[in-house]
Amino acid sequence: MSIFKTALRFIKYDKAKSIGVTSGILISTFLIGQQLGILDYLMGLMAAPIDNAKAQIWVADSRTRDVNQLAVIDIKKLREVRSISGVKEAFPLVVSVASATVDKGRTSSITLIGIESPHFNGGPPSDKIISGKIENLQMDGAICADFFDEKVFEVPIEVGTQMEINGKKAIVAVQTKGVRGFGFGFMYTTIERARYYSNLSANDLNAILVNVNEGADIDEVVNRINATVYGVKAYKTEDLRSSTISTVIGTTGIASSTGTLIIFALIAGFFIIGLTMYSSALDRIKDYGTLKAIGASNNYIRKLILIQAVLFAVIGYILAFVLLQGFKAGVAGTGLLVNYRLDVLIGIFVVIVTISVIAATFALRRIKGVEPASVFRG
Amino acid sequence: MKEIAKVSNVSKVYKTGDTTISALNPSSVSFYAGELVLIIGPSGSGKTTLLSILGCVTYPTAGEVYINGTEVSSLPESQLGKIRLENIGFVFQGYNLIAPLNALQNVMLPLELMNVPAKEAKEKAIQALKKVTMEDRMKNLPRALSGGQQQRVAIARALVSNPSLILCDEPTAALDPSSVAIVMGELKSLVSADKCVVIVTHDMRLRPYADRIVYVDNGNVLTEEPKSEYAH
Repeated sequence: MSIFKTALRFIKYDKAKSIGVTSGILISTFLIGQQLGILDYLMGLMAAPIDNAKAQIWVADSRTRDVNQLAVIDIKKLREVRSISGVKEAFPLVVSVASATVDKGRTSSITLIGIESPHFNGGPPSDKIISGKIENLQMDGAICADFFDEKVFEVPIEVGTQMEINGKKAIVAVQTKGVRGFGFGFMYTTIERARYYSNLSANDLNAILVNVNEGADIDEVVNRINATVYGVKAYKTEDLRSSTISTVIGTTGIASSTGTLIIFALIAGFFIIGLTMYSSALDRIKDYGTLKAIGASNNYIRKLILIQAVLFAVIGYILAFVLLQGFKAGVAGTGLLVNYRLDVLIGIFVVIVTISVIAATFALRRIKGVEPASVFRG
Repeated sequence: MKEIAKVSNVSKVYKTGDTTISALNPSSVSFYAGELVLIIGPSGSGKTTLLSILGCVTYPTAGEVYINGTEVSSLPESQLGKIRLENIGFVFQGYNLIAPLNALQNVMLPLELMNVPAKEAKEKAIQALKKVTMEDRMKNLPRALSGGQQQRVAIARALVSNPSLILCDEPTAALDPSSVAIVMGELKSLVSADKCVVIVTHDMRLRPYADRIVYVDNGNVLTEEPKSEYAH
């Protein structure tokens, strides 16, 4: 019989207290995992235009910090960027907020993204197109809408659905699933049609997507653009991504609300675990005294309690993980595509084990003070 | 006879604020292999204090304690634990079986603490349980056993590591008469050429089992029966 099995038997024996500790861990883990999963999803949405476009460099107005807040730049900048050494290709992008109305449905704001045909660089990821082909956007009035838009418009959105964008006729010719933005849903169309719907001039665009020549250094090309083209700022994709996320998080209070909830989940978990383990140790004080009297070292007893704390953490974490998967599956149908990153899951596990072990010190301190002679006091 | 344990001029004084209570006055007494010794005295006389000092769970205020020839009263608690584990078996008034562990696991516990391999520990524990005729209840948790049965499991736990000194604190106090006979029969059977059993009690029914009686009265250890009503 190993100390591990003894610890397991202590846990199994005191079912009510064990359920209490496990529940504390489960609730803490679930809340932390859920919040971080949603935050990760929101961060993905914040940077969705960047992730969808798959360009190496983004060029936008020089004041731009957030891809969701792109100012208008002149088409001359596109020609200037194309002339920079190391630039293999550069594509224009129009991004504007528009109002869409579906027949017999609701009116909602959308983010309308105009991409250049016939290559459609900057368009929706091909693996997320569930109906139609991207080339269909060349048809008259064609747009690409998302499956989950039906939640917003309250009518099914599918290929063939007719709508009005800023009062002008449009028809869904391509459908994606899960291509969504932070504020509004994304709808794609050709760049010319996007300008038409948004009342922009033929010289207006909002961003330039750049890919560099093979072997060219991306940083150098970025520096060259910034040094050569006045009034714009070039970003490496990952730099604009992190700038966007930090700008949105810093201006919306998402970080503080998520952080507050996580901190309270940790504090609540810590005290539920700590006090329940302490109470359990009080219940078993005679057993620990007996162990000391018959010769168990303080180290043995410390290990016995810490193993229980780690076992509680592992059991609670596994149950919370199952619950998180249930939550993920449950909300997927609403378009909330939560994903739990492996490094986040590992991080939560480490945190939960740590707070369980620290919380166990309440019990350890109490048991450390038990004298072996206490067994003779009835 | 081999001397198993000895207390030499030991005393115990408890201090609570300004109050000083002398639980045990300077006393000396030896315990030898092959004898069952009763320590008899009224409540509060100091007999449990003497047992605690002898069992190395309480430090004496003064004097020395020898277990198998080793002076132990100056050892730190970490080493005393090892002395207890290897030399002393305990049987308590309230049985003190570990509640979450079944009878077999309780008896295996001292061996686990001594790092005896699990298979060997299990075999020895089963043998110990057979000795107290509790092998058919080895899978039961303590709460499923009667008081007498729990005390027999406690005796098995005390003897499984083959200690030379077995200390019993009122082992029959909570037992009915038939269980008293069984438990005392088993304790008597443990006495051997290299083992000594010491029983603290105020149960006069146990006198016939004793090879020797040590009396404790008002914190004094006596070899002669004091002339008090309690002695009878």
